Amino acid sequence: MQDWLKRFLPFISLLVLCALIPLCEYFVLGQDPKFITAGNLAAIARQTAVITIMAMGMTMVMVSGGIDLSVGSIIGLTAVVGAMSMVTGIGVLPGIAVAVAVGALCGMLNGTAVTRLKIPAFIVTLGAMGIYRGIGLYVSNGNAVVGLPESAGYLAERTLFGLIPVPLVLVIFIALVVHFTLSRMRLGRYCYAMGSNIEAARYAGINVWRYQIAYYTILGALSGLAGAIETSRTVTGQPNAGEGYELNVIASVVIGGGSLNGGQGTVVGTIIGSLIMGVLANGGNLLQISPFIQKIVIGAVIVLAVTFDEFQRRRLEQAEG
Amino acid sequence: MTEMIPALEMRGIGKSFAGNQVLSGVNLVAQSGEVHALVGENGAGKSTLMKILSGVHAPDAGEILIDGEKRELTRPAEAIAAGVAMIYQELSLAPHLTVAENIFLGREPLRSVGGAFDLNGLLKWIDRRELEQRAKRLLDDYGFRLNPRAIVGRLSAADRQLVEITRAIVEAKRVIVMDEPTSSLTSQEVEELFRLIRDLKARGLAIIYISHRLEELEAIANRMTILRDGIAVYTGNWGEITTDEMIRHMAGRELKEIFPPRQATVGDIRLKVTGLGRPPVFEKIDFEVRAGEVVGIAGLAGAGRTEVAEAIFGADPATEGRVELDGVRLSGNQPGDAIGRGMGLLTEDRKRTGLCLNLPLATNITLANVGALLKRATIQTKLETGAAERYIRKLNIRPPSPRALVGRLSGGNQQKSLLGRWLFADSKVFLLDEPTRGVDVAARSEIYREINELAENGAAIVMISSDLPELLGMADRILIMRRGRMVAEVLARETTQEEILRHAAVEEG
Repeated sequence: MQDWLKRFLPFISLLVLCALIPLCEYFVLGQDPKFITAGNLAAIARQTAVITIMAMGMTMVMVSGGIDLSVGSIIGLTAVVGAMSMVTGIGVLPGIAVAVAVGALCGMLNGTAVTRLKIPAFIVTLGAMGIYRGIGLYVSNGNAVVGLPESAGYLAERTLFGLIPVPLVLVIFIALVVHFTLSRMRLGRYCYAMGSNIEAARYAGINVWRYQIAYYTILGALSGLAGAIETSRTVTGQPNAGEGYELNVIASVVIGGGSLNGGQGTVVGTIIGSLIMGVLANGGNLLQISPFIQKIVIGAVIVLAVTFDEFQRRRLEQAEG
Repeated sequence: MTEMIPALEMRGIGKSFAGNQVLSGVNLVAQSGEVHALVGENGAGKSTLMKILSGVHAPDAGEILIDGEKRELTRPAEAIAAGVAMIYQELSLAPHLTVAENIFLGREPLRSVGGAFDLNGLLKWIDRRELEQRAKRLLDDYGFRLNPRAIVGRLSAADRQLVEITRAIVEAKRVIVMDEPTSSLTSQEVEELFRLIRDLKARGLAIIYISHRLEELEAIANRMTILRDGIAVYTGNWGEITTDEMIRHMAGRELKEIFPPRQATVGDIRLKVTGLGRPPVFEKIDFEVRAGEVVGIAGLAGAGRTEVAEAIFGADPATEGRVELDGVRLSGNQPGDAIGRGMGLLTEDRKRTGLCLNLPLATNITLANVGALLKRATIQTKLETGAAERYIRKLNIRPPSPRALVGRLSGGNQQKSLLGRWLFADSKVFLLDEPTRGVDVAARSEIYREINELAENGAAIVMISSDLPELLGMADRILIMRRGRMVAEVLARETTQEEILRHAAVEEG
């Protein structure tokens, strides 16, 4: 198999899915395809927005060779803290800013622990996952924060020109910024270098830990933004928001060609990975496939993506002779 | 005299990867009791040929005969069963297991309760005592001073190499392949290895010996085959052709001389190291290097040479002493600081501390000076490609493509791209740690020429090397380290290998 196939395989899979679902709807269920209606596509965009926004940050962290399992918990914590600050009457935008800032702080702590304690990121953030969720539950007493101003719903519900949901606009904006950063800025260049070989990066004079902390902080901030969107969607601060999201976020990066070993991954790939999962879930619902079966399918897709990646890598290594 | 049946015969071997013909029509014949040198530049196909012999790759064409009998070696296990063993250049040991466990990996002496409880051998367990005793006997036989119970991951590179060699000898019945077996050994250990090789010859094994060090082959090779671009261009008895002719066969062109002359004028002190130490690894290191000077550092493996270089660079900080570059003291705990002031370290292990293997050549060359590519905080692709192309041309890097992944380049070209990195970072003081390890003759000569040019332009160069002819050929002065101390300084043109070795190895008084 050629390099281009690896590069385009996620995209091709997405196209195949998008063709297959309406066809199944028409021939199997005998209905007019609902999949391709504007309303449904907007729904997919809305549903995947939160995951995609976090996946942008996760792409950076994973390309640099790290991982962060606590992003789902950061959503819960920032949803609660953001909602609480909105309830005090400081306004919706400052409330969102608080959520983002708290998220960034969580990410910075993760990054600092990973780099300074020299403990594997997987373990540090597994611990952080419990800690942040616990803090969110503690400060909210385990109850949803209610009494938010009605305008809190705008972030999730409003549309531009009555068509494009605001979260989608955010996704596009963030994706463009992260894409530019990864491909054209020093921050992104070092990201690939560190993920490819962190010792080599250090010997090339890169202040490795400072950059690592930066990537985790960005991911934390984006998770905080995701928490604000979740708050806005439900117009409450749910301490249990975002539970299990970390797996979907990591899966998006991996399905999109990112490597768990670092050094590989792109924004475009991650978006496609996230869309594949979103489309699978949405199509599954339209085709009335049990959500339990959907979980099995998504799990299998993740394993397949990683297997393919490994297979490809080994072939390359062999060819080096 | 009857026609001898060769221990190994490879006939018309051909192999291509992804349409790239790596080997074509290669014949290789090795008799029992002969050391057959396999030489050629990096990328000539030596490693691929040996991977075919050891069952890692299947050939597209040709056949392999062991003792005149055709064998299909499609898996490593089949090669071992046929009596072919290999010592890999890249170490292939299990780091968490002991020396003894590694030597007998897959062939552990087993015990079982026997009888009906045996369940087809499923219930066998490893006889640890027997394992360790056998390993100890072997190591003692070969004169390797290694503890069979030591964890391999904690051994030095040289000791790991000895484990690898011991393991291969256990496996080898007919043919043993040694791919650069001495690259991490000290001169003393090399002597021991050579004794061992003579012993293996006497036991009737055929030995295929791959090396870039012609001086080394001189000592043991009986016959040789030269590969160039996947074709066997010469086969004959060792000594039938001169070194110059060999190099011409390898490179396909004339190489004037291995160590080109240098006309550098020695100027001001650029690098000054005072009382540098990190006991117990090294201490009281004092020396200075002037502009235009090449100063060599010699010593046995484990003498602390690499550690000193890394401390000067700030990668692994010293606990005492100071380093001054052009009169300015370095912080000594950040490579970035040293690099910013014009220092570059070409590390001993380019795969571990040098290259980002899955990134392009251009990224690797520019990595230490990304700032020079920025305009309005954005990396300018044009500047990046331009810089890469400049150093690809200057250093003759193959393939000459800035987008090529560095991991697919040969060792020599990888090393040149790292040299290019420090040139692009405007380095003026170069610490070169084993700059030609695993580098073929032609690329070596190019690296030497580049070092000379740097010195002539006023750079100060520190060259650490275990290859004494190289130090004698390149350095002005040679500092000798033993057990973490500088024990002697000699002038390269007035000294001999023997004198350096005496300082490096022998305790005085």
